[in-house]
Amino acid sequence: MAPKKDAKKPEPPKKAEPAPAPAPAPAPEAPPKPAAVDLSGVKVDFNQDQLEDYREAFGLFDRVGDSKVAYNQIADIMRALGQNPTNKEVTKILGNPTADEMANKRVDFEGFLPMLQFVVNSPNKATYDDYVEGLRVFDKEGNGTVMGAELRIVLSTLGEKMNETEIDALMQGQEDENGCVNYEAFVKHIMSV
Amino acid sequence: MSVVNEFLFLDNDFKNSGVAQADWSTKKMVWIPSEREGFQSASIKEETGNEVVVELDNGKKVTVSKDEIQKMNPPKYNKVEDMAALTCLNEASVLHNIRERYFSGLIYTYSGLFCVVVNPYKLLPIYSEKITEMYKGKKRHEVPPHIYAVTDNAYRNMLQEREDQSILCTGESGAGKTENTKKVIQYLAVVASSHKGKRHHYSLTGELEKQLLQANPILEAFGNAKTIKNDNSSRFGKFIQINFDNTGYIVGANIETYLLETSWCIRQAKIERSFHIFYYMVTGAKDKMRDELLLEDFSNYRFLVAGHVQVQNQQDDEMFEETLEAMEVLGFNEEERIGMLKVCSTVLQLGNIEFKAEKNQEQASMPDNTAAQKVCHLQGINVTDFTKAILTPRFKVGGELVQKAQTKEQADFAIEALAKAMYDRLFRWILACVNKALDKTKRQGASFLGILDIAGFEIFEDNSFEQLCINYTNEKLQQLFNHTMFILEQEEYKKEGIEWNFIDFGLDLQPCIELIERPNNPPGILALLDEECWFPKATDVSFVEKLTNTHSSHCKFSKPKNLKEKAFFTVQHYAGKVDYNATSWLTKNMDPLNDNVTALLSNSSSAFVQDIWKDVDRVVGLETMAKMAKSDSAAPTASKSKKGMFRTVGQLYKESLGKLMTTLHNTQPNFVRCIIPNHEKRAGKIDAHLVLEQLRCNGVLEGIRICRQGFPNRIVFHEFRQRYEILAARAIPKGFMDGKQASTLMIKHLDSDPNLYRIGLSKIFFRTGVLAQLEEERDLKLTDIIIAFQAQARGFLSRKAFSKKQKQLTAMKVIQKNCAVYLTLKNWQWWRLFTKVKPLLQVTRQDEEMNQKEEELHKAKEIAQKSEAELKEITQKHNQVVEERNQLQAKLQEEAELYAESEEVRIRLEAKKQELEEVLHEIEARLEEEEERSQVFQQEKANLQQQLKVE
Repeated sequence: MAPKKDAKKPEPPKKAEPAPAPAPAPAPEAPPKPAAVDLSGVKVDFNQDQLEDYREAFGLFDRVGDSKVAYNQIADIMRALGQNPTNKEVTKILGNPTADEMANKRVDFEGFLPMLQFVVNSPNKATYDDYVEGLRVFDKEGNGTVMGAELRIVLSTLGEKMNETEIDALMQGQEDENGCVNYEAFVKHIMSV
Repeated sequence: MSVVNEFLFLDNDFKNSGVAQADWSTKKMVWIPSEREGFQSASIKEETGNEVVVELDNGKKVTVSKDEIQKMNPPKYNKVEDMAALTCLNEASVLHNIRERYFSGLIYTYSGLFCVVVNPYKLLPIYSEKITEMYKGKKRHEVPPHIYAVTDNAYRNMLQEREDQSILCTGESGAGKTENTKKVIQYLAVVASSHKGKRHHYSLTGELEKQLLQANPILEAFGNAKTIKNDNSSRFGKFIQINFDNTGYIVGANIETYLLETSWCIRQAKIERSFHIFYYMVTGAKDKMRDELLLEDFSNYRFLVAGHVQVQNQQDDEMFEETLEAMEVLGFNEEERIGMLKVCSTVLQLGNIEFKAEKNQEQASMPDNTAAQKVCHLQGINVTDFTKAILTPRFKVGGELVQKAQTKEQADFAIEALAKAMYDRLFRWILACVNKALDKTKRQGASFLGILDIAGFEIFEDNSFEQLCINYTNEKLQQLFNHTMFILEQEEYKKEGIEWNFIDFGLDLQPCIELIERPNNPPGILALLDEECWFPKATDVSFVEKLTNTHSSHCKFSKPKNLKEKAFFTVQHYAGKVDYNATSWLTKNMDPLNDNVTALLSNSSSAFVQDIWKDVDRVVGLETMAKMAKSDSAAPTASKSKKGMFRTVGQLYKESLGKLMTTLHNTQPNFVRCIIPNHEKRAGKIDAHLVLEQLRCNGVLEGIRICRQGFPNRIVFHEFRQRYEILAARAIPKGFMDGKQASTLMIKHLDSDPNLYRIGLSKIFFRTGVLAQLEEERDLKLTDIIIAFQAQARGFLSRKAFSKKQKQLTAMKVIQKNCAVYLTLKNWQWWRLFTKVKPLLQVTRQDEEMNQKEEELHKAKEIAQKSEAELKEITQKHNQVVEERNQLQAKLQEEAELYAESEEVRIRLEAKKQELEEVLHEIEARLEEEEERSQVFQQEKANLQQQLKVE
């Protein structure tokens, strides 16, 4: 759609990945703990360019004008900045807030940075092959496609269930005239941005 | 078809795909025993030592012992067609699977070698012609489970391997044995006669096929009754042997029956009925036939205890007609049919004979002999002789005949025994006739397919001799099954090249069978019973005492401890412990009929009655005995008195069973297990405990127990790989790899205990439960991947939304910039000047435009002038032409007038011509006349001249 613009934004986080190399040491200890994450131990390690980009992006999400964003926007910002955290990880980072807190609690950029850093330090390790393998399970015919309807059901009932709007946006233009989805192409498409 | 499909095929919805699995794997679902449902699902919460805390569906927490828990199968196995494929093989899972399938309308399910069928108690559209076609020639795994699939396989095996086949249907009363047997025959009648090329039409099935199908209504009319459990309960076992020639045609059939329960003739419970034929006859026989049969009202017959009990959806009079028609098809003639009904009427009438004990005397008397007279009339015997034979029969004592008066009890007993024996003889006579009709083709059968329809294992409150016989039979049949299974399993392992020593579980049953049938050293139950029958003073109690003494140490024998009664003993059958009550076993084992009556009947004035009783006088040798008296009693004692041979009911039964087993052993058996879902004859209801009990009795659970000893779950390599590759994705290199190699790598990668699996040549074998574990791992892995994928997808969506937001921002910035630029421009002098000057710039160009337009006008005018001139010219020419035309028109008119004139002249002339012609005609006529006249005159003249000459 707009590859030029996309390339501009997601890039910084990618650059960030090699950067935090010295940092991960303290952070990876945290994930196995089910309790809320101790963010005080996370060392923020982004360079100046990144910080600028992040701040700009962060600003885009501020709808009130107090230079803060709501808890329920955090996941979106992290994703916009190229990360792929699960919902569970995000709630964990936020200290398992209540639904009320999610909507009303706000955090400023300085508070947001260690959270982002934490996610950057423990990225989603699943690979293209993993996804393809996972979707192959639903490939009844063994011809490289799955039924779009089945994919919808899988995504809306398993794991971290997705809602209809999310799925509609995701599946847009993916189904062929028979309602089948070529899942390798699908995964590539999802991973392209 | 679609309507039908739901009764055969599983709806393959998404539930089976993995969505439902999430629940199973996260909740650790298991089965725990339940009062009401047999087993209920629960999820494990906590495990401590031997105790487990589980949470029920309703949220209640319960602590159960670890031993009580049975593992639940992953949802993948929901409603599987073959329960042997279940990875957790246990009672709970088997029950659950059968129940779930039953609720979905799927009544047939395989369990390894068994085909289990639950009585649907309603008509299902799965026996149509279309379905028959669907199953024709299909392999078992290609089509959903069905009795047709079992039959077709047996039939094809028979044709291809030239091996005789048998289909063994067992189950409780009301479980559907007879119905399924009928379906087998129906299927064969269609499939096996279509070889002639007369396919697609049921009506075209041959005469023999028709007779085969019609034999059933007759047997049912005479051998079935309504019981509490079953409106059409077969009160006998049967083995139908259908013979086929080399090309697969039916060439004949033979039916053997076992243990007809003749006691139904004389008493039934309140809502039960005696044999159908009595009701058909009393309702259906009309007018002359009714008189001839001396029939009375239902209420008059003492043997029909509850009068006319109706069967739902069945009209007895219509059934009577149908039965008679079926008899006609099978070649019974009028006389025979009446004879048969007379016997039935006699049996009923016998119940009305009443005896009284004489005062001060032991002897019985018959004050009113109306009923006896009717009996004798129907049977063609002398009433005085008959009364004597009952009241004061003669016995041989030490070589001399002695008359002995009977007590009332003895006389009553004799009458009941006679009624039973008479009915039994009739039944066997009918059977013999049916067999004769079915065996009339001369062609030699090449192989046969036998269908056994016999009662399954019985454990009642009170178990008598009949139960021992039935249970003994079932022990033997179960042994056959275990043995067959053992052979097949061994073959499979051998075929797959797997080293495994399978134990022959057929041997498990041997001790119990020996306990019953062993002739001596030490003698078994039947032999001991026979022995006791020899002793004049023996009683049922003495028999049990003897039994206890002989077998006290036998592992399958015991005495119930808490029972005071001495006539009880217990046998440990494979299906469970059964307490037998030996009361009146001695009489049951012997024939209670006295010779006086039988002799009388065999000398009846009716040829039919004689025929029925004729073998009484014959010397009955070993051979004929086994042939004619499959299950019964009358013949043996007759021979005993004559020849001193002692043949008991038990002995005969053992013999006929032995023969049956020999036959079955030489066939390839197919097992059908019928299950009654509830005792209320209700559709869609499963009484869990009742079903479990049957599964235990009919050997399904036993079969599963055997399965568990080996590696019951087998998956072909590519299936294994397809389903579980996700667990070991990295173990298999990209590109092609053959299934076995890949599976081997995978299983190694999974780090399974080598004792839990075996790798064969085409399949991988697993011990029970291993697959459940793999399923669980697969689920967890799958859920992980899905969650990661969802995170990735959410990232994708967020980034897209974000980039849109950014683009919007950029666009906004551009607009803002343009506005700002415009605002500064607006007040710039040069710009203002420009905007003022801009309209003036156009004036100079107006002249130029004018000239151009004028030129255009000129051109247009010229063209107009030219056109005008042309128009004038053409108008002129037009006028000229019009004038010319007018002139010509005038000329034409002139000519026309001239023409009219001359036409007038012509017409006038023609009229004149006609007038003249008429005149001419007239003149011509006159001329003719004149000529004629002149001729006449001439003639006259000539005559006159002649006269003149003569003169």
